[in-house]
Amino acid sequence: MTVIDILTRVDSICKKYDKYDVDKQREANVSGDDAFARLYGAFETQIETALEKAELVTKEKNRASAVAMNAEIRRTKARLSEEVPKLQRLAVKRVKGLTTEELAARNDLVLALPARIDAIPDGTAGGPKATNAWAPSTASRPDIKFDSDGRFDDDYFQESHESSQFRQEYEMRKIKQEQGLDMISEGLDALKNMASDMNEELDRQVPLMDEIDSKVDRATSDLKNTNVRLKDTVNQLRSSRNFCIDIVLLCIVLGIAAYLYNVLK
Amino acid sequence: MSSDPEKMMSKADKMTKLTLTRWSADWRGATELYEQAANGFRASSKYEKAKVALEKASKGQEMQSSPWDAAKHMESAAALAQKLSIWNEVADFYRKASELYVECGRAQPASDALGKAARALEEVKPEDAIQLYTDACEILEEDGRDQMAFDLYRACASVYIKLEKFADAATFFLRLGVAADKCDATNSQCKAYLSAIIVYLYGHDLKQAEKCYNDCSQIDAFLKSDQNRTASRLLTAYNEGDIEEIKKVACSSTVNNLDHAIIKLARKLPTGDVTAVQMNAGDDLDEDDLT
Repeated sequence: MTVIDILTRVDSICKKYDKYDVDKQREANVSGDDAFARLYGAFETQIETALEKAELVTKEKNRASAVAMNAEIRRTKARLSEEVPKLQRLAVKRVKGLTTEELAARNDLVLALPARIDAIPDGTAGGPKATNAWAPSTASRPDIKFDSDGRFDDDYFQESHESSQFRQEYEMRKIKQEQGLDMISEGLDALKNMASDMNEELDRQVPLMDEIDSKVDRATSDLKNTNVRLKDTVNQLRSSRNFCIDIVLLCIVLGIAAYLYNVLK
Repeated sequence: MSSDPEKMMSKADKMTKLTLTRWSADWRGATELYEQAANGFRASSKYEKAKVALEKASKGQEMQSSPWDAAKHMESAAALAQKLSIWNEVADFYRKASELYVECGRAQPASDALGKAARALEEVKPEDAIQLYTDACEILEEDGRDQMAFDLYRACASVYIKLEKFADAATFFLRLGVAADKCDATNSQCKAYLSAIIVYLYGHDLKQAEKCYNDCSQIDAFLKSDQNRTASRLLTAYNEGDIEEIKKVACSSTVNNLDHAIIKLARKLPTGDVTAVQMNAGDDLDEDDLT
């Protein structure tokens, strides 16, 4: 094991057992009777934790958790700012075993506290600066508060010109869209009507088609029968026996005619 | 065989008359001659004579127990009568033809014949036309072919509208609805109901229209349809006396899909009585408030 390892291990063990170190505790609690010092100590720890949290926020990637942490920091800041007057009152109190210089020093410390509290970053970094910038103007004219609002109005008019243009354009586009949608809906109504009429017409024609089907079937079977019979008849007519008989009889008739012709000539 | 139709006619007549030498009429020959004579007359545009020839031919076919041919001849005779504008003969011939068709057991041509008759008589004798249409529809319904009856119902209702008998027209539309219901033709059914409501409104009969609407709302198919929404919009507009809304509904696409006659009625709808309805409603309220 290296020396550095040994040192770090010793440090951590000491820290762990610090609470059993009576002397150190007594030192830390030397101001145990002093309410101011206790409260001030608590303040310091809280400010430090808030600063640590602020550091974590800057490293935080998840915006939701960053926002949550910022909110917590702001809450802590608000609480601390509330307690500052209490601390101020305690600071003025005289405690035994305290010199006048230390008293003055405490006052200064308390006065510096609000600034330190505000300095903790909580996601609205520009805020304190803006309020600082405004502070002198309001301080200089505390009675005419509405003027600053008036100044706001100027700024507002500046922006609202653009925003009113934007709004106008938005309204026009919305109207055009509504017109287009109206036309589409009319077309769709016509289509729907035509489609349902077509549907009914087709329904109407289904039984007719069935009838046609059966009738045509009957007609085809009749035709087939007729064709077969016709074929038989024609075959019979064209049979060679009938042919020969026809030729023979024809010859006989011609012979008789020739004979008669000869006789009559 | 002489090609002169007159001669053929006289010959055929002789064939059918029973005399001492002829104990039974030769219908077959006579019929043939009659048919040829009719063709000849038609070719020479002697429609009156052709009509007579066709009548006799039809009689001959009937005697020969072929009602189909008889009916066909009757129809041609009726068409000629229509050309000659002899209206009662038109009706009679078509009726006879339809009866013969029914004898053959063919309902469709029978109702077609009556439909043709009705169409011919629409302008001239609308009441007869209506009667013919109704008979045609009955024939089809008896045969179970309701779908073919739709057009007839619609035509009949339009005749009623022309006669300004709005209650009857609406009744016919409702009959159309019944027929459509039997065939599950929901679109036609809903259109029929909407047309009936519009007809009632045109006849200044708001209460009837509302009753009709309530009746029709009990039918599922109508309840779920576009026509239902249009009807309810129309009736609420009427109840509120809102003329603009009525006009808007009348020009909507649902109404434009109905029959032509109905569209015309719908366009004229706010017939000046709307304000009266509104005022009446207002008066009633005032009286109630005072008492």
